[in-house]
Amino acid sequence: MVSETAIPSRAASTPAREAWRAFAGNPAAMAGLALFIVIALVAALGPLLYPVDPFAIVSAPMSPPASDLPLGSDYLGRDVLAGLLDGGRVTLVIGISATCCTVSIGVLIGAFAGFYGGWIDAVLMRVTEFFQVLPPLLLAMVLVTLFSPNLMTVIVSIGLVNWTGVARVTRAEFLRIRQQEFVLAERAMGAPTRRIMWRTILPNALPSLIVITTLLVGTAILFEAALSYLGLTDPNVMTWGLMIGQSRNYIWETWWAVTFPGLAIVLTVLGNCLIGDGLTKALNPATRAR
Amino acid sequence: MTTNDRDDRPLAPRQGATRRTFLQQASLAAGGVLIGSAVTGQPALAQTPKRGGTLKLVHSKMNNINPAIQSGIATMVPGAQIFAGLVQYDAEWHPQPYLATQWETAKDGLSYTFHLRDDATFHDGTPVTAEDVAFSLQTVKANHPFGVAMFGGVSGVDTPDAHTAVIRLAHPVPSLLISTSSVLLPIIPKHVYDNGPIRTNPANVKPVGSGPFKLKAYDPAQYLILERYEHFFRPDRPYLDELIFQFMDDPSAIMIAMSRGEMQYWGYADQQRNIMRLEQQSTLGTTRKGYEAIGPLNWLAFNVRSKPLSDVKVRQAIAYAIDKNFIINKLFLGRAKDATGPIAPDGFFYDGKVERYAFNLDKANQLLDEAGYKRQANGTRFSLTLDWNPQGGNEEATLPAQYLKSQLPKVGIAIELRPSADFPSWAKRIANWDFELTMDEVFNYPDPVIGVQRTYICDNIKKGVIWSNTQGFCDPEVDKTFAAAALEVDPAKRKALYAEVQKRLADELPVYWLNEIAYTTVYDKRLRNLPLTIWGAMGPFDEVYWGEKTG
Amino acid sequence: MSIFRLLLTRILQGALLILAVVVFDFLLIHLAPGDPAQMLAGQLGGATAEILAQIRQEYGLDQSVWVQLWTYIRHVATGDLGTSYYYNLPVLSLILQRLPATLLLVVTAQLSAIVAGTFLGAVAAKRPDAWLSRLVDVTALIGYATPVFWLGIMLLILFAYLWPVFPVSGMETVGFSGDALARLLNLLHHLVLPAFTLAFIYLAQYSRLASTNMQNVLRADYIRFARAKGLPERTVTYKHALRNAALPVVTIAGLQFGSILAGAVLVETVFDWPGMGQLTYDSILRRDYPLLIGILLMSAVVVVVVNILTDLSYRIIDPRLRRSP
Repeated sequence: MVSETAIPSRAASTPAREAWRAFAGNPAAMAGLALFIVIALVAALGPLLYPVDPFAIVSAPMSPPASDLPLGSDYLGRDVLAGLLDGGRVTLVIGISATCCTVSIGVLIGAFAGFYGGWIDAVLMRVTEFFQVLPPLLLAMVLVTLFSPNLMTVIVSIGLVNWTGVARVTRAEFLRIRQQEFVLAERAMGAPTRRIMWRTILPNALPSLIVITTLLVGTAILFEAALSYLGLTDPNVMTWGLMIGQSRNYIWETWWAVTFPGLAIVLTVLGNCLIGDGLTKALNPATRAR
Repeated sequence: MTTNDRDDRPLAPRQGATRRTFLQQASLAAGGVLIGSAVTGQPALAQTPKRGGTLKLVHSKMNNINPAIQSGIATMVPGAQIFAGLVQYDAEWHPQPYLATQWETAKDGLSYTFHLRDDATFHDGTPVTAEDVAFSLQTVKANHPFGVAMFGGVSGVDTPDAHTAVIRLAHPVPSLLISTSSVLLPIIPKHVYDNGPIRTNPANVKPVGSGPFKLKAYDPAQYLILERYEHFFRPDRPYLDELIFQFMDDPSAIMIAMSRGEMQYWGYADQQRNIMRLEQQSTLGTTRKGYEAIGPLNWLAFNVRSKPLSDVKVRQAIAYAIDKNFIINKLFLGRAKDATGPIAPDGFFYDGKVERYAFNLDKANQLLDEAGYKRQANGTRFSLTLDWNPQGGNEEATLPAQYLKSQLPKVGIAIELRPSADFPSWAKRIANWDFELTMDEVFNYPDPVIGVQRTYICDNIKKGVIWSNTQGFCDPEVDKTFAAAALEVDPAKRKALYAEVQKRLADELPVYWLNEIAYTTVYDKRLRNLPLTIWGAMGPFDEVYWGEKTG
Repeated sequence: MSIFRLLLTRILQGALLILAVVVFDFLLIHLAPGDPAQMLAGQLGGATAEILAQIRQEYGLDQSVWVQLWTYIRHVATGDLGTSYYYNLPVLSLILQRLPATLLLVVTAQLSAIVAGTFLGAVAAKRPDAWLSRLVDVTALIGYATPVFWLGIMLLILFAYLWPVFPVSGMETVGFSGDALARLLNLLHHLVLPAFTLAFIYLAQYSRLASTNMQNVLRADYIRFARAKGLPERTVTYKHALRNAALPVVTIAGLQFGSILAGAVLVETVFDWPGMGQLTYDSILRRDYPLLIGILLMSAVVVVVVNILTDLSYRIIDPRLRRSP
């Protein structure tokens, strides 16, 4: 729960710096940040430094790691390491794009619900409840299946199913902040609604939103992995989930082809989690004070 | 026709078979008259068949139970039990008497006279007459997907007496005899089926035939039960009391049912891993025999209408770039047979003396260079889309597709995979020529005029029709050879013509054939006399019986 | 508000939600590319013109959108969720047939996760700086970050191939025969790996949640009073504190039922467990839209029911809430 003291919209610099200091003092959070940065760098630079096409057959099929290729080859003879590097790029891009989608939808819905209240709030909350009743991953599977598996469908589908948490948090924040003195003052002065919502209230809701956004990236990555494991993805694009899914029938003969992509997912989401945790603690003045 | 001294391993095709058939039919070519054996004699059996028992078969749901208007495994297998045909075939492609005790063909090849048994009756007791034969043929010709291909040359059926049917032809039809197999020309009773449009005839789900088994119960969602027809024209047959076709689609459920003995016969199985698991069991046997008549092929089709695939060198290069050994041995676990041409390796007219395209990347590269497609800076010459229908898993098409995406870049061809959402979308795309490369699985059926030539002749380029000549391949020579072979009665000449066309097509490569689909039958080893003819389960089970447990 | 009125309210809300899901399904059928008739009828390519015409008439596809919607709702209300194109059986009966296997898996997993998680969390909470607490934290994080299908595959490699202690797949041994007890044991033997896989992800979260909660609870007033009263430490911990610590775990578990269903889909495909998850995967592979959409609807129903039950049990467990509205 975020503190009671109002954070004036202009004086955001000091709390931010304080938050950063709190974050930096948290070894787990820093470890997560380091991990995530490393992974992002590897994903961005890896394919440039190790320019092997993940789809190309470059070795004898099913060769173990360190024999011919650093991480071995899969059942077709494709380079597992190349798959990891290329897959990293795609996975991160999808994770971040889908999260942008999710956050956009969630913030819009939550903001309107929290700001206007009344029947708008009631309707939007029912919609949110509705989307909570449909299991998100299942809904994403259905959407991708119905609308044909390609990258766009995957991103939009993941984006469409995960927004309820964001909406709730945004709504709660808007409800709280709109009653603050400075907001009431602006309204009294006749400032346009748009300005109040997006220029005044939203920035103050950021701390909670940042946390939930960060964690959503991890969720999006896990969703993408599940969808591509099931084959619900563009088969011309290598992702970690796709690697695991395609080697489904060969897990004993080529355990490395399923182990390494999975480890990559774990590490990425772990780093993301640690950052999220760290941000939660850092942005929450109550715990900061300790 | 069937023996049970088989072990569990798939068998190699019998070499002597082709020669013997050839000789037998050569006597026909001598211009004389061939008298089919009047004897329904079976080879002496090791054990005395025991009457009784039920056989439970794994099966798929069907649209109707009338093979006269419906093709497909689901209808044809039970159809072969309910309906008898003029002839049946053995494992060596020899026709054997069935409803017809003997048959003759005229010297000019323009008529076939079938002499029917006088003791055959339909399940409602009425005798089988030549009228029924005539009616059946007309029905099939007008309604069956292959009706025209099989009987387009029939100008009429005469019935001089109740037990003689004369099929008159406008031109020689060498495929006629095999087209009278019970699953292609089931003899249906005129008095039951000739009362209105056949497609909506209620008898389609309450069939009446003259085969060894008759309908007992049918639940379209769950099962089809057939029971012995006590007045089947073969004395003492069928041995089994009942056949229960259980509709099962779930691979795990089928596995469990077969291994527990709840189901005892599983035909047309193609999930190799599951089959291998069942092979471990001592109570079950497997066989790859019984699929020769359908000749199922798996291939890569080229849309030859536009560049670069319009250049035969490009198609040949692609063939050289594919390591079929890898596909067959690694992806299909060594259980499929190499296909080298339009006719399946187990097919009657198969000839393997064709251009083979052994895996050779240098040759492939060379051909592409010669064709004028140089590699660009990034190593790619050109890019092609590869379509297929992954619906249902479809490993037969998906595994090679994934392999091709990885393999063809080695010769500079970039592949973009384009899986279709489902069968109708894929079929629509291909039928409307909106593709470059596609995987496909097609059945030959027992005579090339039925299922083979449709893929390659100019006449059959029909937009909007799936499994027509969607590739757009048109070679007048090929057409001529197919047309000549379709009319050639001399077996030696016919074989030579098909050998020629196989050679030519293997040079031209409108499609590149990968493998014969490895259909397998998994069965309870106590069963005797399983139908292992070329038609397999699409032939009558009248001789099948339950023996003692072996070992 | 009495429990009865609460139940009634919740059921009404639930019914409305389910109606909304039905409408949503209808939208999906009509918004997705392709012919809705094909989607409803089946897509074997063998859906003849007659069958399509029949479907069009039955579902009123040539009439206004509202009539169509109403017809669709009517069908669903009478339990007609359509016919699976692949199995040619009513969707509802297919789902109900497979549901027990999935429920067995999911309930086992959830219960184990709740019980073990709460217990672990409680033990860790008693000594917040000991290694167990740290371990619980770390495991929770790793559990959250691990894709459930990958965990299943790893466990398969370890315990079904490397050290073959558990069966590779399925719910029963292929070819198994024996008496009822032997069958039960065989079933349980097959249940271990898939249930553990599914449970692990949530176990980690619940233990962490329970631990945090337990720490707060142990500091609470009523606990101090209990101690002051001279109650043995054990009773304090397990009777009073645990009960309260379990509450949020139960709540979260209820709310997460939807995601555990989705997890079951993945786990069942890894282990060949013949439940609703396998059915879902198969219907995705086969583009069996009637079945797929029916499964979505049924999942929503299950989630609503579980939410209502959780809500109720929450109020029953927590005496403080019993009297409040």
